[in-house]
Amino acid sequence: MIRDITIGQYYSADSPVHRLDSRVKIIATLLYIISLFMFDSMAGYAVAIGFFVLVLWLSKVPFAYVVKGLKPIIFMLVFTALLNLFWTPGTAFFSCGVITLTWEGLRKTIFISLRLIFLLLGSSLMTLTTTPNQLTDGLEHLLSPLKVIKVPVHELAMMMSIALRFIPILIEETDKIMKAQAARGADFESGNMLQRLKNMLPIFIPLFVSAIRRAGDLALAMDARCYHGGRGRTKMRPLKYQMTDVAAYAVCALYIIVLMVVVKFCVI
Amino acid sequence: MIKTKKLVHEYSRRDEEGNVTEIVRAVDGVNIQVKPGDFVAILGANGSGKSTFAKHLNGLLYPTEGVVYVNGIDTRDKETMLTVRQTAGMVFQNPDNQIISNVVEEDVGFGPENLGVPTAEILKRVRESLKGVGMYAYRKHSPNHLSGGQKQRVAIAGIMAMRPKCIILDEATAMLDPAGRKEILNIIHSLNKEEKITIILITHYMEEVIASDFVYVMNQGKIALSGTPREVFAQTDKLKECRLTIPKVTQIAQALHRAGLPVPEDVLTEEELLSYLEQV
Repeated sequence: MIRDITIGQYYSADSPVHRLDSRVKIIATLLYIISLFMFDSMAGYAVAIGFFVLVLWLSKVPFAYVVKGLKPIIFMLVFTALLNLFWTPGTAFFSCGVITLTWEGLRKTIFISLRLIFLLLGSSLMTLTTTPNQLTDGLEHLLSPLKVIKVPVHELAMMMSIALRFIPILIEETDKIMKAQAARGADFESGNMLQRLKNMLPIFIPLFVSAIRRAGDLALAMDARCYHGGRGRTKMRPLKYQMTDVAAYAVCALYIIVLMVVVKFCVI
Repeated sequence: MIKTKKLVHEYSRRDEEGNVTEIVRAVDGVNIQVKPGDFVAILGANGSGKSTFAKHLNGLLYPTEGVVYVNGIDTRDKETMLTVRQTAGMVFQNPDNQIISNVVEEDVGFGPENLGVPTAEILKRVRESLKGVGMYAYRKHSPNHLSGGQKQRVAIAGIMAMRPKCIILDEATAMLDPAGRKEILNIIHSLNKEEKITIILITHYMEEVIASDFVYVMNQGKIALSGTPREVFAQTDKLKECRLTIPKVTQIAQALHRAGLPVPEDVLTEEELLSYLEQV
């Protein structure tokens, strides 16, 4: 169950989307997410879905792989869908006891679900096509104007990339500790919520101790390799915009324009 | 290359209110001298102070008393700290806790990036260092899928990319399996011979120090013994006092010697022992 965590998962492939500058992908994802909230019509969703399918096809990431990213939000998705379905006032088309379904409710449910689904699919497509390091590099670049107001952008990016590096190591460690505690008769499956949480304590304490110890070791190793903050640091692979990146920005702009036109002139 | 004069390091233990309850002398008046191009081993059992000592050699710890010179530079000088750390690179025990990046080649580039080396030069150094440790084929891999020995090779490449004059291995083989340990030893020996890099190998495995030029044995923060491996291994009793045991081959040779066979006490390798036995 622990191994299902898919933060920063990368799908390795050689595609035009993979080769794009990470800054383009971050900005495009943000634009796409914002665009999902700008309309409320079938035609708009058709354009947004069409754009996603196009990028997905270009990225060579299997559809099933992207859909897996929806797993963690299934509960939230169903919950909001049901809430909207049952509690939206309007013209009823089905009524049975206290349950009343309305056309407005149905429409709203579909729209909100689509919005949530594509919000997540869009952002997971970004993380699937960008390595964590490219991602932090891109973020560092995009946020660098904040350095003027003393935001430690380089340090934050470094922290993020180290955190991503240690996720699999700590997961493996959790697994080991769980097995070690289970071997001594610890029980993680029975009891109510509170009981089970209490039983997790013998996992968390050793995990924290070891994480702190690892952090100390890593700090020493970074010191030994002359790390002294972002000042005077060079990059092995500096980010540089290519023609394809400019083209990608153009495609994004085109998407926004098409979306605006379609939303304005189609009434469904 | 590296010289220490009456080096002392004290840790202080504190109670919950922060009052010093105890002062521990981890390193106690150590004098060593390492010439450029040497392969020097520092042997010691757990708690002998060898790791604390190692951390002085590239400015991770500062002496409580005494001086450490790295390539003629006093390590206490904050201005030249980066030069010291670049000159004497350090490989640590746990391979996982010293790899910073998710991609092998990016990790190797970390040191030169910190030193402000131009981009083209970083790429060249990364390529050369990875080829030097035989990990070039893995440059795009994630370190999480490598074996312990391979991770340590990446860590060595990361140090090599900073173009050091000296590499200190602080129990770098302790967490590896025998195959991984052999890999690392082969690599550091070839770096020593071919690139003329000074090696300081800190370990508690006696077998690893056989091929070194000079051995220091540490016990309770002091240098208890020093000499060539042959000289050191001949002093079995003194080594026992330091909670160290001599290699199997030497043990056998000494037993044969005591039994009256014409085998000397200071045999270090299996080949050597075999050649004596053939004469018998």
